[in-house]
Amino acid sequence: MTRKLWQYPWGYPEAALFVAGIALTGFLLQLTVGHFDFALLHHPANFIALAVLVGLITLGIRFQSNLLVRWIAGIPLAVTLIVALLLFGFYMELTPQLPRLPPQTPDIVSRLGFRMVTSSWPFVLLYGMTLISLGITTFKRFLRFSRRDITFLCNHLGLWILLVSAGFGAADMVRVVMHVNVGETEWRVFNKDGEALELPIAITLKKFTMEEYPPNLTIIDRQAVPQTQPGGKDEGKNEPKPKQKFFQIDPKRPDGQLGDWAITLDKYLHTAVRIGGEYRANPMPESTPAAKITARNLITGETKTGWVSSGGNIPEFFSSLPLDDGHILTMAQPEPKRYASDVTILPKGGTSINTTLEVNKPVSVGNWMIYQYDYDTTLGKMSNWSGMELVFDPWLRPAQIGMGIMAIGAFLLVWNGTGRRRSI
Amino acid sequence: MSLSWNEFPFIALPATLCWLTAGLLACRRARSPQSVYAVDALSLVGIILFTTFIAAFWNALSRPPLRTMGETRLWYALFLFLAGYITYRRWNYPWLLLLSAIAAAAFTGVNLLKPEIHSIAMKPALQSFLFIPHVIIYIIAYALFGVATLAACVLLVRRRQNGNNHELLSFIDNLIHIGFGFLAFGLLLGAVWAKEAWGHYWAWDPKETIAFITGAAYLVYIHLRHQGREDNTIIWTLLVAFLLLLLGWFGTTLFADADRSVHLYY
Repeated sequence: MTRKLWQYPWGYPEAALFVAGIALTGFLLQLTVGHFDFALLHHPANFIALAVLVGLITLGIRFQSNLLVRWIAGIPLAVTLIVALLLFGFYMELTPQLPRLPPQTPDIVSRLGFRMVTSSWPFVLLYGMTLISLGITTFKRFLRFSRRDITFLCNHLGLWILLVSAGFGAADMVRVVMHVNVGETEWRVFNKDGEALELPIAITLKKFTMEEYPPNLTIIDRQAVPQTQPGGKDEGKNEPKPKQKFFQIDPKRPDGQLGDWAITLDKYLHTAVRIGGEYRANPMPESTPAAKITARNLITGETKTGWVSSGGNIPEFFSSLPLDDGHILTMAQPEPKRYASDVTILPKGGTSINTTLEVNKPVSVGNWMIYQYDYDTTLGKMSNWSGMELVFDPWLRPAQIGMGIMAIGAFLLVWNGTGRRRSI
Repeated sequence: MSLSWNEFPFIALPATLCWLTAGLLACRRARSPQSVYAVDALSLVGIILFTTFIAAFWNALSRPPLRTMGETRLWYALFLFLAGYITYRRWNYPWLLLLSAIAAAAFTGVNLLKPEIHSIAMKPALQSFLFIPHVIIYIIAYALFGVATLAACVLLVRRRQNGNNHELLSFIDNLIHIGFGFLAFGLLLGAVWAKEAWGHYWAWDPKETIAFITGAAYLVYIHLRHQGREDNTIIWTLLVAFLLLLLGWFGTTLFADADRSVHLYY
């Protein structure tokens, strides 16, 4: 006997219709009230929402033998929810997503929430349904704990905690970038309209430092007229990214090839100043990388020798090496190897901290984390300000606990494979 | 010792030749004890050659060779063959050794045809102790999924010819579960690193989004299998999942917002 639709026990067809129904409800909400406003979940509203979620899960566990509840916590709905979220993810991957909506009248795509998927109603509702389904499955199993279920529990419980912390914590998160001039103290951040927001943390920037890699050399074709300029065959189109060839200056490998030229690095000065036609090593802040190069044309055998330098911030320090009528050898701007800010951080009512902020090395102050963010890229190592990102995330700890539990689950998966059938 | 892409062909060609010969020898019907021994010897010589190149290349670059597309292909070729060799030894699937040798040779071939320039620079955001484990664990997961995909193709063909093969299916399950463990671990390390480097553990960066999509596709497979499904749907799920994985690995530049991504290889 074949089962009719909506006749228990439910399976995939019901799950597909149910998930489609949630998405449809989401789209209707989106059209009528606009994007899901995460500000609604600000503390303490997120705790109330979490209490409701826990209440629903408790109710589910209380009636866990009910066929509907079993279906909600079952694999068909889980798989369908995963597929739905996967499709939303795929859509996000294919179309540009905006951090906020532009003020002009939105088109239908925007109105349906497709330009900000993660804060659109359908996505938020599916996320919520996932938390309910995953929650019931997990805690049901948790309450009748068995050692065989340890991998299952770590993977599912860790994910549930992480998703709850990420979702409910999103509203409480604050991310701002503070710009501080060298020698000054700042405690405000400014939005686009120039309005100041005062933070409970003041930062004094004592010094900004940067180290650079030895730069690349490249050959510029003086006769090449960009085809996108008037008269060119691609006039008006976007400039294609030139497929330039580079020679990496690396004192360990002085010989190489660039186009038709064999390049030899005769001498390399990482910090140099130009004196007349020569370069001398000098560690002063305005110094520039400079390289003495011998270039030999592989076809004609013609040889050229001379200094090449990007000049850093001093135009007078620039040098290039003319190779033949059409081509010159030049040095690209060096790439940053490390940049850091020597700062004093003063939390409101706390004691000051002297430290160095560096990429990948943030500093924690209470629930705030402070990051090296940017600098004046036109001035490079001469930048006289530093941008620091301040992130406040009170839900970070629970998220980390979730990730830790998931890591144990991942380890057990690697260790056991499918070794114990039920324990995944 | 330091080696660069210039010297790569002189190591890559003999190494892949060793692997392919090992794969072919393993698949021969009549196998003498000597040929079994030769399979091991050739596999190991290839693995040692490849590992030596990576070590010397690392030394030459003064940074881990994990930054560019070609560099990740290098590790992938090694790990793919390594995964194929271990499964050949452990479960005695000679055809898997051959298939992984062919796949590893293909990835090496791409590197031979598309040589990259010598570059020692590495963005400050990549300079973290998490860089090496994050990328290597991912490549291990990719290699296991790659082997599982090859096995799934074989299973699909066998089902057309002579019905089901339970042993092969449970072997695929095992690879997928272990691979998923590595994938999840790589993702978590990435999240920890993202918190250190960008301020948040999840930012819907295009690479993160495709990582989520890939993980979700493998989760679908795992759940379908736990429900006891055995039909061809699950094999197609695996093939789609691997396609998504490849898209995330090689196709990141195709995606919208890719220019914002810190995961862009060049």
